[in-house]
Amino acid sequence: MSAPFGTVLETLTRQRGVRASLIVSESDGLVVDSNLRFGQDGARVAALAASMYRKARLSARAAHLGAVAFLQLDAERGRICAVGGRSDLVIVVVSDASANVGLIRVELLKALESLA
Amino acid sequence: MSDDIHRWSDELARDPSSLVFLQLAEALRRQGQLAVALKIALRGVERHVKRVDAHDLVARIAVDQRDFDRAVAAWETVLTLQPEHVGAMKGLGYVHFQQQRFDDAERYLSQAAEVGGGADVTAALEAVRRSSGGVPIADVEGVPLSDAHRLFADLLIDEGQTAMLLDGNGYVLAGLYLDSTGRDVAQEIGAQLSGISDEVVRSTRHLDLGDWRSIVFETNAAVIAMAPATDSSLLVVAASRATPLGLLRRLLDRCAERAAGWLSGGGGR
Repeated sequence: MSAPFGTVLETLTRQRGVRASLIVSESDGLVVDSNLRFGQDGARVAALAASMYRKARLSARAAHLGAVAFLQLDAERGRICAVGGRSDLVIVVVSDASANVGLIRVELLKALESLA
Repeated sequence: MSDDIHRWSDELARDPSSLVFLQLAEALRRQGQLAVALKIALRGVERHVKRVDAHDLVARIAVDQRDFDRAVAAWETVLTLQPEHVGAMKGLGYVHFQQQRFDDAERYLSQAAEVGGGADVTAALEAVRRSSGGVPIADVEGVPLSDAHRLFADLLIDEGQTAMLLDGNGYVLAGLYLDSTGRDVAQEIGAQLSGISDEVVRSTRHLDLGDWRSIVFETNAAVIAMAPATDSSLLVVAASRATPLGLLRRLLDRCAERAAGWLSGGGGR
């Protein structure tokens, strides 16, 4: 991968149960860089995750709760985790439901630091 | 959603008499573009003065804008056109409750209950009846534990923890959200946060992740956890940033169990 965030994304995707990791522009939902398992539709994941993160951020701001840092969605067959808040970029991980979300959160926060 | 909005806008521009104004104004309302949504809904009402859903839409936008007089007028029109419209009864009950006109609130909610308003109406009616003494429930010591506002009180162990249950429209069914001054801001916070669940449902559906179980996010001021509950309701639990996420999730599970029991009529305890 020759893309600029390849190392960051490879580190995330190496975590057990991680299906995809992406760096997404929150404002337009476009993929900046991605590391996907076969079969994952990066553009769709990016658009939906960015939209969800943006909604959470706007709702939290309107509710006077401040900026959203880490976000974790748990569903029947998988998880979406995202971090952002320092720029327009949001780092997104899609994982199996059984993945260790504690480790993923730590790696996501490290990845966010490395982007700063 | 923005593609839909563009499409509906174009359609309405081509045909100003189109009923697509209902979808367009609703989508804009959900996005928080309330002034534009109201403008479109009011134009629609002018052209479709007998449309119940158009007046109902105006009322819901007005509530989001805290313009209760407009909301009351619109919902009263709805009831003129369709006397058994449960949504209008619930809406009028809510608005009168907010304005502390408890007798009017109780009257409308009782009517809604009579025509099958469901568990959320029953809970709201209970809250109104308990509030009709004119004293905020949060301030009353010794209120029975069955009180809707105190539903989660015994589960919240640390200062800064709070929980509330919202219906599908973002209205508070039970619980409280106290700000740093002790004021209950559940309605405001709930209205803002409830919109997230629409995005969550859309994401999980398109990514084939199955039903969503919870969403947790950390903000500058708090950690928030939300989970779907019975009858399209939404449980929201918040705690200070110092609260470990694992503990928050356990608290969410316990509150969800309590809410499920309460909504099913078992009292939840």
